[in-house]
Amino acid sequence: MTFAERMLHIDRRIIFLVIGVCTLLPLLYPVGLAIKVSPEVRGVHDYIESLPEGSVFLLSMDFDPASKPELQPQAVALLRHAFKKNLRVIGMTLWVTGTGLADLVVSQAAQEMGKVNGKDYVFLGWSPGVGSLIITMGQDLYKAFPSDYNNQPTRELAVLKGIQTLRDVNYVVSLAAGTAGIESWYVYGKDKYKFELGGGCTGVIAPGLYPLLRSGQINGLIGGLRGAAEYETLIGQKGRAVAGMDAQSATHVAIIMLVILCNVFYLLIRTSRGQSGQPRG
Amino acid sequence: MLRPLAVLVCLCLFPLTAPEAGAQQAFAPPQNLRVIDTPSDSGEGLTVLWARAGYDAPEVRYQIMLGDGAEKKMVAEFPADSHYVRDSRWPWWTRVDRPDAHQFNLKSGKGLELKNGTPYAVAVAVVKGAERVEAAPVQAVPAPNWVNWNQMNNLLLVLLFGAVVFGSIRAAKRREIFLRRIPGLDAVDEAIGRATELGKPILYLTGAGDMSEPSTIAAAVILGRVAKRVAAYETDLLVPHRDPIVMAVCQEITKQSYLEAGKPDVFREDSNFFITTDQFSYTAAVDGIMLRRKPAANFFMGSYFAEALLLTETGASTGAIQIAGTDSDHQLPFFVTTCDYTLIGEELYAASAYLSREPIQLGTLRGQDFGKAFILVVLALGTLLATVGVLFATDLPMIVLDLFKDLK
Amino acid sequence: MIFLRRQLPLLITFVAGVVFAAQYYVPHPTSELMLTEVTKWLQIISGFALVLGVTSLFHIHAVKIRRKEPGWAYSLILYGGILGTIAAGFSYSFTAGQWVNGKETINGIVTAFGWIYSDMMVPLQGTMFAILAFFIASAAYRSFRARSREAALLLIAAIIVMMGRVPLGEMLLPVSGDVTQWILNVLNAAVRRAILIGISLGAVALSLKIIFGMERAYLGGGKE
Repeated sequence: MTFAERMLHIDRRIIFLVIGVCTLLPLLYPVGLAIKVSPEVRGVHDYIESLPEGSVFLLSMDFDPASKPELQPQAVALLRHAFKKNLRVIGMTLWVTGTGLADLVVSQAAQEMGKVNGKDYVFLGWSPGVGSLIITMGQDLYKAFPSDYNNQPTRELAVLKGIQTLRDVNYVVSLAAGTAGIESWYVYGKDKYKFELGGGCTGVIAPGLYPLLRSGQINGLIGGLRGAAEYETLIGQKGRAVAGMDAQSATHVAIIMLVILCNVFYLLIRTSRGQSGQPRG
Repeated sequence: MLRPLAVLVCLCLFPLTAPEAGAQQAFAPPQNLRVIDTPSDSGEGLTVLWARAGYDAPEVRYQIMLGDGAEKKMVAEFPADSHYVRDSRWPWWTRVDRPDAHQFNLKSGKGLELKNGTPYAVAVAVVKGAERVEAAPVQAVPAPNWVNWNQMNNLLLVLLFGAVVFGSIRAAKRREIFLRRIPGLDAVDEAIGRATELGKPILYLTGAGDMSEPSTIAAAVILGRVAKRVAAYETDLLVPHRDPIVMAVCQEITKQSYLEAGKPDVFREDSNFFITTDQFSYTAAVDGIMLRRKPAANFFMGSYFAEALLLTETGASTGAIQIAGTDSDHQLPFFVTTCDYTLIGEELYAASAYLSREPIQLGTLRGQDFGKAFILVVLALGTLLATVGVLFATDLPMIVLDLFKDLK
Repeated sequence: MIFLRRQLPLLITFVAGVVFAAQYYVPHPTSELMLTEVTKWLQIISGFALVLGVTSLFHIHAVKIRRKEPGWAYSLILYGGILGTIAAGFSYSFTAGQWVNGKETINGIVTAFGWIYSDMMVPLQGTMFAILAFFIASAAYRSFRARSREAALLLIAAIIVMMGRVPLGEMLLPVSGDVTQWILNVLNAAVRRAILIGISLGAVALSLKIIFGMERAYLGGGKE
């Protein structure tokens, strides 16, 4: 077996080790590379920036712990921005396995910004049904969530004063790891109840949501950890996403180098087989 | 002598008086004011219409006044060169006035309450500088409507598509419909043969969806075909499931396939088994099965999410031949790189139609193809018409383009 | 019995399908009220579906334990995990001084249920998802080869997008950011739209077949 053939059939664990090192080292020794902000992330940021104080912002954290590394930084950045703008924040989730995580994210962000539960924000929790839940919220928010996650009656909360349905919400952002998520909020929510909708998602499903962005069905899209890092840059509060970008940069470059290497070895084998008259692989 | 002189003086003086009369003409109140219940809505809305005026300009403003007497208040104000009928989102078949007339929609919401069945007086005033003239108010009653005529194009297209699909199904029942050979199906036979030669089991996954998803239905149909070949060769078949209902359906399909292959005694009830509905728990379990049982062939049919690469990469590490078929476009790159063959998107539906040869499946496929051809033609025509409309500054192409718009 | 298993569900499907398809075109508040009522029913049914899933799981593993099938010890562990988590969710928290009631934290104090969630479930799920990063690298190394012109084009696009999505890549290849934006917003969006159209037509066709009773696979069982 030639060197090129041996390299093409290298043990996967060596590749895993390379990726592991490329992820770990930048986290231990951050570099802090500059992050360029994309128009799609700016779309979400600028809309929140344009909302007057006291506007209602609903953040639906539609992800479970598996997607926490990508979507939690997005949630934290959005909540920090919303609290800084003194918006009335409503948190909720369409994924039952993400309820605890979502509650933690909202509580921690609120505590950091000195906001009071019931007065400045509320976490509604989770309720069964996706489309049916959104439709019920569009008809009567209090029927969908008679009490919040802490069992406080929602009708008595100061933060929800004057809000009857989704039509009274100024901006909804869904942070989605898959189905149910942004598309559900558009089909069952924005299409019927006409609120403005933005989105955040994991990097792998982001390309599939560009048609919604191009057609104006969502006014912005925060894609993956990169999107979260861009948002953190926009609000001037760098967090885990920016910290993670160094690791992501190193990993991407490592994968590119591996792909280039594998193609070099492949071409070498093809060339040598061609010269020796053997069939090419 | 004096009389003709007096007439001459009056004639000379007339131009002095004319401008004042002309000034009153320039600030005539909005003409042809009409207020109607907003059509095709759920109520609590009024539409105000009035004619375009010669003085429409950015520096002139219109004001919409609601109520009468002491309760009269201004609810909107905007430049006079805006808010035309043609700017509204209504399609041409629901417009209630000429495109160059003014239109303003009043809708119950923040700061404005309109109750169904209650008459409201609406007036329109025009303001230029310090001058203000108001038209006489008109009364109208908001009411909810039973039909949303704005969406009739949508209904028409759905009915048309439905007719095409049902027509194709009828045609498929009467005569043979040609379906080109799906290349991936050769790979299916090859994979089953290889597993039999090696004496190893075949692993078949039906994806993350439930029975209401087209991809899961297609996966179940292909399972029937695979099970029939597996039964003939008496190879082991493993079908772990994420959904109990899908499991029940696939169990019946597998049993039926073994019966049709003439090998009911070889059928095992536990070939289809339920693991869990949780995404990664299921993935971990299936990965374990792959590493322990080392199946020779892995089939990944249906819809998948993040677990796709975890499953296929583990399968690749065991040296199995892997065939995937999915409509989950976000996972396609992972399937394509790790599987030996991938049925992309509708190839999965086509494969199930090809295998089952059921007229319903074949007819549906043909109907969908007609639908896609129609959309292609509309896209090309629409692009051309929209370009013509922009180049020649005409709204005529909108007659066709509005038919394909999503209007509420 | 056949009527209850076949004809009645088909009738319900037909009536409900036609009514709610028509509902989309009826803006009257009565139609919205009807939709609200039905969505409440759907919410209740969705809640029961959860119960169904758990019951199925219990039943299947109970059979495995009873018959002492291979791997039955893992079924015991599964039982222990499910019952332990449920017990933790319904337990009394002495530190917080109240019943847990399924809450992860009470007044900032982490409950036993919260510990299971944040110190077991979250890391386990995160670990499984993190494996993807390693698998992507090994899959890319094994498969991303320029075997043909199209494969080479795909490879170049993939490299540009990978560079354009990270700050280091944009620093090394400044144009990659803008080209990536163009690829995502133009090429990618166009292709996704095409796929979406195809899938949507398939979904509409399937829905029509289900409403009119031509497609009965969802009822379970094989051919009649």
